[in-house]
Amino acid sequence: MRHVAQRPAIEHPKPLTEPVLLILMSLAGQPRHGYALIKDIEALSRHRVRLSTGTLYGALRRLLDDGWIERFEQEDTSRDKQAYRLTSEGRRQLELELDRFRELSRAGFARLRLGEA
Amino acid sequence: MGAVFRVLLYLYPQRHRELLGAEMQAVFEQGAQEHRRLGPSQYLRFVLLEVGGLVLHAAIAQFANATHRGYLENQVDGTLAPPRDLPDEVIEAQNRLAVNINQLSFAISHHQFVQARFYKNEERKARENLRQMREKYGIGDR
Repeated sequence: MRHVAQRPAIEHPKPLTEPVLLILMSLAGQPRHGYALIKDIEALSRHRVRLSTGTLYGALRRLLDDGWIERFEQEDTSRDKQAYRLTSEGRRQLELELDRFRELSRAGFARLRLGEA
Repeated sequence: MGAVFRVLLYLYPQRHRELLGAEMQAVFEQGAQEHRRLGPSQYLRFVLLEVGGLVLHAAIAQFANATHRGYLENQVDGTLAPPRDLPDEVIEAQNRLAVNINQLSFAISHHQFVQARFYKNEERKARENLRQMREKYGIGDR
């Protein structure tokens, strides 16, 4: 009989940085342009994180290179024409990362309960 | 302050500046406008963080450029014209294809055949997209 080992789901090599995670989360809801991303991330993090322009565009450039987001021209705005949206790969990577967080927090709470018992 | 920011953008690699410079400038100006209304101390804090962030990330981008990490434009087919000659849409389509090829090779070399099938499919779509972009801009395969 031939045994085939179950391989894990598609992995990503290392956890995402906080700015990257927040950008992906922000774009998961809807496409946004640069400044709207900064404002939404500020709200999303309850005013804990405010990305500088350099940090934002450094992360956006890497995400574009990796094909996790794409850039397109918005027609309905007067000022910021270039907007960003998640690709299917970006959405998949975000889901993987959020799954990782869920597992981690489950394990963390389990340890806390053990400590209380 | 906008003029200083514009000058600081020259710290970035040319390709980054061409692709994102104008947008970065617009985002900075929107932030500056907002923080100016909040008072001088908030504005000063904003400017210092912006300048610091810009210098740091320009250094990172220069390093990435020097080591070719993330700058994949020349990796697809290897015979394309230099990136600065191509429209953004074509470069993005090239990047997407290069990323898919890398992911496909990684999956195959690690015997991840389910993933390899997925990336093969993505690679086919990316190649078709690139073909359409080349056709749109009248760029031959060379």
